[in-house]
Amino acid sequence: MAAALEVRGIVKRYGALVANAGVDLVVERGEIHGIMGENGAGKSTLMNILYGVTQPDAGEIRLGGALVRLRSPLDAIRNGLGMVHQAFRLFDSLSVWENIVFGREPVRGWVVDGRTARAAVAELAERFSLSVNVDARVGDLSVGVRQRVEILKALYREARILILDEPTAVLTPREADALADVMRALVADGRSILFVTHKLREVLDVTDRITVMRHGAVSARLETARTSEQEVVRAMVGRAVSLDIQRPDVATGDVVLEVDHLSVKMEHGHSAVSDAGLTVHAGEIVGIAGVAGNGQSELIEAIAGLRRHAGGTIRLRGTEIGGLSVGARRRLGVAYIPEDRATVGTAGRASASENLILGFQRRREFQRWGHLLHERVLGWAQRLIVRYDVRIRDAQTPVDTLSGGNLQKVVVARELEHQAALIIAEQPTRGVDIGAIEFIHRKLLEERARGRAILLVSAELSEILALSDRILVIYEGRIVANLPSREASEERIGSLLAGGSGDAPPVEAGPLRAPSPAPSLSDAKLRDP
Amino acid sequence: MSFTFPHLRRAHRRLPTALWSILASFVVGGLVLLSTGNNPLTAYRALVSGALSLPNLPDTLNWAMPVVGMTLVAAIPLRAGMLNLGGDGQLVVGGLVAAIVPLHLPFTGFAAIIISMAAAIIAAGLYALLAAWGEISRGIPMLISSLLLNYPAVGVASYLVRFPLRDTTSNLPQSAMIPLDDRLPALVGPLNVGAPVMIAVALAYVWFERRTVGGLELRLSGINARFARYGGIHLARQAYGVMFVSGGIAGLVGSIIVLGSHFRFIDDGLLAPSFGPTGFMAALLAGGQPLGSVAAGLFFAAMQIGGVGMQRDTEVPRVLTMVLQAITILLIALFRRQRTDRE
Amino acid sequence: MSNLFSVILLQATLQAMTPILLASLAGVLCARVGVFNMALEGQMLVGAFFAVVGSYYGGSALAGVAAALVAVLVFTLPLALGTTWLRGDNISICIALNLLASGLTSFLLRIVFGVSGTFSDPAILPIVKLRWLWLRNIPVAGILTWAQTPITFLSWALIGVVWFLLFRTPIGLRLRGVGERPDAAQALGVDVSRYRIVTVLGSSLLLGLAGAQLSLGTVSVFSEDMTAGRGWIALVAVMLARSDPLWAAAACLLFGFTDAIGLRLQSIGLPNQLTDITPYVITLIVIVLNSGRSSIRLRMR
Repeated sequence: MAAALEVRGIVKRYGALVANAGVDLVVERGEIHGIMGENGAGKSTLMNILYGVTQPDAGEIRLGGALVRLRSPLDAIRNGLGMVHQAFRLFDSLSVWENIVFGREPVRGWVVDGRTARAAVAELAERFSLSVNVDARVGDLSVGVRQRVEILKALYREARILILDEPTAVLTPREADALADVMRALVADGRSILFVTHKLREVLDVTDRITVMRHGAVSARLETARTSEQEVVRAMVGRAVSLDIQRPDVATGDVVLEVDHLSVKMEHGHSAVSDAGLTVHAGEIVGIAGVAGNGQSELIEAIAGLRRHAGGTIRLRGTEIGGLSVGARRRLGVAYIPEDRATVGTAGRASASENLILGFQRRREFQRWGHLLHERVLGWAQRLIVRYDVRIRDAQTPVDTLSGGNLQKVVVARELEHQAALIIAEQPTRGVDIGAIEFIHRKLLEERARGRAILLVSAELSEILALSDRILVIYEGRIVANLPSREASEERIGSLLAGGSGDAPPVEAGPLRAPSPAPSLSDAKLRDP
Repeated sequence: MSFTFPHLRRAHRRLPTALWSILASFVVGGLVLLSTGNNPLTAYRALVSGALSLPNLPDTLNWAMPVVGMTLVAAIPLRAGMLNLGGDGQLVVGGLVAAIVPLHLPFTGFAAIIISMAAAIIAAGLYALLAAWGEISRGIPMLISSLLLNYPAVGVASYLVRFPLRDTTSNLPQSAMIPLDDRLPALVGPLNVGAPVMIAVALAYVWFERRTVGGLELRLSGINARFARYGGIHLARQAYGVMFVSGGIAGLVGSIIVLGSHFRFIDDGLLAPSFGPTGFMAALLAGGQPLGSVAAGLFFAAMQIGGVGMQRDTEVPRVLTMVLQAITILLIALFRRQRTDRE
Repeated sequence: MSNLFSVILLQATLQAMTPILLASLAGVLCARVGVFNMALEGQMLVGAFFAVVGSYYGGSALAGVAAALVAVLVFTLPLALGTTWLRGDNISICIALNLLASGLTSFLLRIVFGVSGTFSDPAILPIVKLRWLWLRNIPVAGILTWAQTPITFLSWALIGVVWFLLFRTPIGLRLRGVGERPDAAQALGVDVSRYRIVTVLGSSLLLGLAGAQLSLGTVSVFSEDMTAGRGWIALVAVMLARSDPLWAAAACLLFGFTDAIGLRLQSIGLPNQLTDITPYVITLIVIVLNSGRSSIRLRMR
């Protein structure tokens, strides 16, 4: 019997860049097939080709043995493919059932037949134990439930092959386990799943087989039962890696940031952060672990001055800054690497020098009586570009030409060169290549050694565990744990992330070392073979 | 690292679309003329000579003063990513104040002129602030509120000069004449001191936008407001400042026309020539960029004066120039490369 | 006497409301499909002008309405195609269209009719007002329906039609989805550009009707910029109603009422310069009062 999906010799070029260089992939009926690879290995391109978003330059796709051409997502859907994107594509204002039947509505005359639609959705949900309230507004649902809606959307369109793109990135460990059960139920029903992830443990736990990609080509095809973590990693990066990160001891100094009883309310009145307290000392990295959407963004924005807080105090080196403007806080010594570098951290059409100066522009060295000293601004920008190895033609080139990693370096350069007492780093390495990750981690540790206080927020537990001296866990807007990193283990934090007690049995872990096995590669330090 | 001229390069990227749009608008206008039984070449020749022939040049320059002024009114907020559609209302407020104040001052002469103009600038600036206040503290989009605020200003001014402030010696809806000593000194022909004042204001904006911290902040806010806020720029304060200056310039234009040309407030006298919409289109054509805006303002002013000549020589209505300008702006809006930094 | 006063006021309200209502229903449709249509004013003006042209040369009000519909449809093409295929800047396009409408109608007024300012002529045939005698004696309905144009009746029906289309039909569901998350709609095989183009063009027909009502409904006349901000008031109604057709209609009723009040004040001797601004002042007051509640934020870029 023919394979559910068979891909031969897929090639896709973007100018000089070869995103897919002859990729072969076979997915059988009833299997969970893992796709692993670093950022830029070509996974996304391949998935976009399978889902009809982009067209390959060469190669063929067979579904159940029949050659198909997928010119659009609609083509892919018609051919029994379904995709759950990492960023959900749901209509918040519509109900669950409207989201699911959208574009394929049952009708009675001219009218959408809500009763039939609800019944169909409920029946599907029942069959695969994806419990949802079909009449709920999607905007009111939690992330885990929204993901179920996405899966139901694909199933309603009779998807035989389901592509899940980094589905666990936004889930608590408990929700991720539930998802694994759903996946097993789906393959038991004869469907196939393409599971794209960069989390080693998940891929080893859930999949039947794994295809590893590197530099746009397949570097290994592995049977999950007969492979090891090291083998997968080697196939991904092409050499053996050490999962350790060196974090030298630094004597901590005075308290730099002190937050007490902080609460933040959202526009509709519900609390995003309640009664949060934390301190960060000079020479210390404090990591905030939390599943996305548990209030960490709001907490950080309140500290940075971008969001009003409803109560509590924020003190920087003893001075209350809670009522001050963003500019005033920056002047007093707050630097902030924001989560979203493209829409918050930079202005695309502005030049590199303009992007590198924002926040400093009123300093004495760059202006006299409001008159900008162009030579100094350019000199400053050029120095930063060299020091942070930003690959850009010159300081006057707009930054919208830069890759993600280089753009992030612009942001990091600007914020670290503030000489600020406090550095807030929010997801500093998200979506950048492994070289940039290493570079940014090294820079953060250097700043720590210089006695700066660093508040790190990351969705990557491994990044938190590898860099932090102390770890706070945030859950539903409350800080539910505050642990020295030597007492933190992945299991314990995993339990806390999901609102558990964190009383998991203690796991042996050396001080100042990330627990091994690391669940992700994003902090992997490379070592030559 | 290659040696580059950033200003040149930026202008380079913008120029072709603007030029092509202007050319294309003339082609479309030509077709309209043909279809209405006119010879486009004759009409356009009359347009050019009307604008640029030596005897008409002072008229063109005199016309350019308010057009360039109203261009700046639109360009400065546009550069910061805001839209001030209330230029006409602010112009009227300024003109009205400049027409009233000299009549009530106990003295005349230079001081009276300065005070009248300052009062006009402040009144129009404050009127513009209403729209900024609406957006900042009440969340009302400025492009709606600034536009709606035109109507009350124009209506009230019209009422005042028809009834309480009417010059009873005339049958026209206009206010009383301003004393001779309170008028702006004339220079050459129709040109008065207002023209150099407006040149100074335009140069000040060019300098401000390019060379100062405030200008940098203005541009960055226009490119990406979230980034500007994140970088510590006080967006609300900036918006108030920008709108006050923008409205103030409109008030200045109004006061120059009233004190320098009309010598009284004439109902509809400030609005009939469409300085506001023309300036707005010029600013849009240049994307608010200072030198480009001024150049576009001069160009549009020349077109309109040329239109007067064209109407006289060929009987093609001069409002055609307005149509050509609108088509230019429409083509620019359709074909200029889009900014992508706000998704 | 007070009864007579209120009857006239009510009829004036309904008359003033029709163009605003039609424009705001068009605005609702555009907003729902994700196109912020600020060109309502210009579209309506073009409709008003060509309705007069059609009526004058075609010899019937029907020809006028037909001319208005076609003209507005053509005039709206740059908006429909510009915000979709060409990926132009929506706000700039709308501003340009408004100015173009103003310039073009003034230009054509001089070219076609050889006048400036205002054109009126017995040859411009107005839209007939329906005087249904059989309804005359029914207390409320009689007053409401007396001497209104068919376009007014149609506009009332359209409130329901638009609501039904948006919230009951598959097309409406998709249209709302396209407006809310175009990427998601596209991924489910709904052609975003096509939905937007059809909606913007379809809604432009309502503006053709609005324009025709304006120039042929009450008086048979065209004057330059005769829309006088009605398109903007309709847009405010859309925003206040958060793109809900029923609430938009309610807001239009309010604005129509302020217009009627203005006329009323004029008839008791207030100068028309002041009474003419009543709708705008009331509109501004209503937005300020309402602004705390609804988030009608909109930033350029």
